[in-house]
Amino acid sequence: MSPLVGFYIATAIISLLIAFFLVAFSRASAQAKLNRDKIKFRQPRYEADEVKSDSREVQDEALRQELFQKVSETLAITKAQGQEAAKLISETIGREVEQKIAAVSQQMRSKYESLIEERAKSEEIAWKKYKSVLTEKQSTDAVIRSVAEGLLVVDSKGKVLMMNPAAEKLLGVSRKEKMGKSLMEGLKDEQLVSLVKDQKDQSGREIEVISQDDETKKVLRASSAVIENEEGQTIGMVSVLSDITKQKELDRMKANFIASVSHELRTPLVAIEKSIALILGKTVGDVPPAQEQFLAIADRNLKRLSRLINDLLDLSKLEAGRMELKKQNLPLEPIFTEVLATLDTWAQTKSIQLKKAVDEGLPEIPVDPDRLTQVLVNLIGNAIKFTPQGGSITLKAVLKKEEGCIVLSVTDTGIGISPENIPKVFDKFYQIGERASTDISGTGIGLSIAKEIVELHGGRIWVESKKGEGTTFSFTLPLT
Amino acid sequence: MGDAEQKKHKVLLVDDEVDFIQPLAFWLQFKGYEVVVAFDGTCALQKLREERPDIIFMDLNMPGMSGVEAVGKIRELNPEIPIIIISAYIDEERIKEVLSCGISGVFYKGADFQEGLALLETTLRTHKKLKKTT
Repeated sequence: MSPLVGFYIATAIISLLIAFFLVAFSRASAQAKLNRDKIKFRQPRYEADEVKSDSREVQDEALRQELFQKVSETLAITKAQGQEAAKLISETIGREVEQKIAAVSQQMRSKYESLIEERAKSEEIAWKKYKSVLTEKQSTDAVIRSVAEGLLVVDSKGKVLMMNPAAEKLLGVSRKEKMGKSLMEGLKDEQLVSLVKDQKDQSGREIEVISQDDETKKVLRASSAVIENEEGQTIGMVSVLSDITKQKELDRMKANFIASVSHELRTPLVAIEKSIALILGKTVGDVPPAQEQFLAIADRNLKRLSRLINDLLDLSKLEAGRMELKKQNLPLEPIFTEVLATLDTWAQTKSIQLKKAVDEGLPEIPVDPDRLTQVLVNLIGNAIKFTPQGGSITLKAVLKKEEGCIVLSVTDTGIGISPENIPKVFDKFYQIGERASTDISGTGIGLSIAKEIVELHGGRIWVESKKGEGTTFSFTLPLT
Repeated sequence: MGDAEQKKHKVLLVDDEVDFIQPLAFWLQFKGYEVVVAFDGTCALQKLREERPDIIFMDLNMPGMSGVEAVGKIRELNPEIPIIIISAYIDEERIKEVLSCGISGVFYKGADFQEGLALLETTLRTHKKLKKTT
């Protein structure tokens, strides 16, 4: 009987206790969840252990006490029985909780591990990308470093962003000193400012640099381009620097050479010219007509040769920017008469008629008479050259008061210039069409010199032509 | 000069450089030749028809119709007449352009007139022999 009674009592107690257990368990698991949430992202790996070691023990004890009290109150059982029951229940609950917690922590662990794995993967991708960008940057840097031209990049405030070794060498500065600083800091040369300031002229400009260590002067050509962002704002400037010191030196030597050779050539020429002039002037005795004829040819061609040499001299002067006009207010008519008289014998050898159509009462204007003569001789000389036998050449001068200039023109009935060649006729060393270098003004610089002289006077020159019908060269001379 | 005395040979000089043509013409006349001059290619073709020269001296660089073009046209009219090219340079590029047209020689402008005369006489003699044999 007593074991059976004991069994019933125990069953009743256990069913009661299960009810309590469910209440307690829901509390405990709520508490455990709270703790888990707190430490979830800090140290999820140790979550389970922590719960076990600290809060679990405390909880167990508290739970056991509570259960014991409730069981003792509800069932009028002995203290020993109560405690036994409480212990039993507590252990059952403990097991359940432990299992639950183990399951949860296992779940958490696997979640966390997969998270770690994912992160590792994306980190790997990022690293790979970084590596390839780095390699790309390194190769770009290597290219920039090995470019023979100096490369300089500055921001909108003129601070150096990049500079390759060639630029360091050319500018005589060190990259380390200049990075992030203005190029101008510590440099006295004001011309360098152009490197960091906005330029209207984007094409190459020349800069003279006196290097800091040695006192030699370098001439650099800088071609700069403005860097703009997507909104079109200037964010900096990139300049390519090349050393043209040697080239400049060669240019100067060439100009000097031409000048000295031309002078040397003129000396014997003048001697021949003067001697012939003495014979032709019959100062040294009578000259038979046939001899006179050939001496005249010699004389004419010597003058031609002098003109060619003068052209060369002028060219070197113009290139060096050393040509100066000796302007004075003069009437033009006497200049025209003289030019036509000089060229008339030449024109006659080809039966070409030289005509003059000049407005009456032309005012005196400021001109350099020698240079104007040169232009006219050039234009009319060309016309004679390109006009077949029996043609005519007309020198015209028209006053254009409202435009403030006089328009002079030379019109021939020659072979004309084809349209595609017209833009090139004033180019240096250019020769029209099929003509090679054996002509009268065969150097091909006559027209480019004429252009320079007209422009130095403040005028302009142009050409109109019809193939097979003739050509008109016109130029203006300002009235004041 | 024997040939020239029997019947004066007629030489056509074509060059726009009047100052070069005049002394050359004078020299050839002095040596017993009859000389006709033309200052450009068009004029040369006209003189070829009218004057029926025995030999032509032709400059290549002329305004308008160039010497190269003129030589081509002369060959259309007269495939046989000997042509000597007058050149300002010994190695003028344009000479190559007329070689295919059949030319008898090149006279360099800077050379002595005597050389030109020698070339002229040799060419005329060869031409005569060829004519006789054909």
